[in-house]
Amino acid sequence: MNRSASPASLIGRVVIPLLLIALVVGPVAVVFLATVIGPWVVGVVNSNLGILRFVLAIAGVLLFSIPAAFIIIYMELKVIAYMNLRVGPNRVLPAGAAHSVVAGLKVLTKEDFTPNGADRIVFTWSPVLVFLTAVMTFMVVPFGPGLVGAPLNIGLLYLFAVGGMSVVGLLLAGWSSFNKYSLLGGLRSAAQVVSYEIPLTLSVVGLILLAGTLSIDSIGRQQAGWVWDWFVFRQPLGALIFFIAGVAEANRTPFDLTEADSEIVAGFATEYSGMRFGFLFFAEYVNVFIMSALIVTMFFGAWNAPVDVNWLLRLVGVGPLSINLDPGQLGSSLMAAAAVVPLLATLILAAPVYLLRRHRPAWQALLAGFLLLNLLVLGVIGLAAYMDWDWVAGLVWFMLKSFVFVFVFVWMRATFPRVRIDQLMGFAWKWLLPAALLNLFVTAFAIVLIKSAGIN
Amino acid sequence: MTQPDTIPLLGLGWNDLLFLAFAAVMVVAALAVVLQRDIIRAGGAMIIAFAALAGLYVIAGSPVVAGAQVLVYIGAISVLVLFAIMLTQTKAAPRALVFQTQAVPAAIATAILALLIVASVLTTDWPKQVATQVADARSVATTLFGQFTLPFEVVSVLLLAAVVGGVFLAKRERDRGEAD
Repeated sequence: MNRSASPASLIGRVVIPLLLIALVVGPVAVVFLATVIGPWVVGVVNSNLGILRFVLAIAGVLLFSIPAAFIIIYMELKVIAYMNLRVGPNRVLPAGAAHSVVAGLKVLTKEDFTPNGADRIVFTWSPVLVFLTAVMTFMVVPFGPGLVGAPLNIGLLYLFAVGGMSVVGLLLAGWSSFNKYSLLGGLRSAAQVVSYEIPLTLSVVGLILLAGTLSIDSIGRQQAGWVWDWFVFRQPLGALIFFIAGVAEANRTPFDLTEADSEIVAGFATEYSGMRFGFLFFAEYVNVFIMSALIVTMFFGAWNAPVDVNWLLRLVGVGPLSINLDPGQLGSSLMAAAAVVPLLATLILAAPVYLLRRHRPAWQALLAGFLLLNLLVLGVIGLAAYMDWDWVAGLVWFMLKSFVFVFVFVWMRATFPRVRIDQLMGFAWKWLLPAALLNLFVTAFAIVLIKSAGIN
Repeated sequence: MTQPDTIPLLGLGWNDLLFLAFAAVMVVAALAVVLQRDIIRAGGAMIIAFAALAGLYVIAGSPVVAGAQVLVYIGAISVLVLFAIMLTQTKAAPRALVFQTQAVPAAIATAILALLIVASVLTTDWPKQVATQVADARSVATTLFGQFTLPFEVVSVLLLAAVVGGVFLAKRERDRGEAD
């Protein structure tokens, strides 16, 4: 009844003892952490750096693969729409930018259905296997100098080994669905992927002879410099075969017989729904990105810029740029600058906006100025990062080039009709395989010729 | 390839733990290959056993052999086995093995294999074998094309003969089928 009888409310009676306990326990815990647990954790981390790096790399690759797939799916919808004179997705966010994300969420919420008569265990695990092989391939893709999940010295061998495993997943997915269209899709995928793997692998052997290594990282390093240092100019036939066989390996148009919707519904994915279908779907787009990344890495200069930036700068007379600004030297003026410069710059940037559009309220102009300042600062930071860290520059170039090839993949899907199964197999065995062998022999012959000429 | 440091709280090296894990997976998968009634699942278990064996090769210091193992055994041979099973086997077919009439020859073969394995285990000088070097692609290539060129070429000729024979058999059967 009388609320003021007790001066401390319930909350007070709980919080004050807790505060007291925290005051006592906190310092003890901090001391304990700093003296006992901290050094132990640091020691364990230091002695297990290799395995820690590996786990982090796997996590990073997994986290990267999903947004990459989303971006490629959106790109495919939009680009093909424009090529067909349609608008394409335009509802979620400006220009429908989040369309594929919403579609992905929709897939997550759908019913996960297993058909009667399907082999449950195989049916459940084959999409996982398909996605796993796609993500495992990412581990050896160098996104920049040193930016590679696992720098294997047998990277190319690993790549083809893991890439060949994906067909097992497709085959089992098709068989376990207990559906004749699924089985047809699975069998087609087995025939197609196994056939095209041979020219795919053989087309790179010439490149391996030239580079003298199986390490993807090292192949990337050897293409530094100008455009004409890229391997595509020394292995044009190999690059062409690799591209064609890569399209077939990724099951893309014009070689998408495994899920030809006008012939066998959706191939091996017919009976799949919910997130299991999502796995198969994502794996396809992850594979598209991986194929583009591999073509770029092996034949189109990996992460290297097409021009030698340092040579250009020296030509202008600037010399290699680097920013040697020591913030400690500025002392107290740094503090003053940090307080004043953002305010001043916002006002300065807001002024033209305010003058141009005087009917708008002043706060909008200020907001615009602030956003402009942020853009400017981000641009400057990005430029400094590009100049100072070669992995940032490498990542930028690598992504740019990879997405050019992703665009080519999408473009081909909008343009080409699907081939027939006999044309597909005939092309692999009668044209691509002899061409790959010819490329290998000519490359080996040229290398021997040049070596013997160099010795004489 | 090697993680020499020990795992916290366990005292085992990473390689020891990985070896144990791969070996356990391989034994279980190999048993599953033999004991499974469903032939496709047996094929799947065989793929798992091959993958675990590739992991063991990596731990033993020869990633090239591991890569070849995955490339050839999982990527090609297992796929062909699965392909053949799917073309010949249907859901309606009996799931149990029908032609299991070779128990005595199988027992003899198993006994001989076990004797061979025991003999090789007992006669190997293990401490010397542990210190093998990591075999990279270059050393494998120089050994294969330097010291063992003749066996390599003989094996390739044998494989070529097998391919030609297989194509001949497949062709003749189809021609006869069309003629009939």
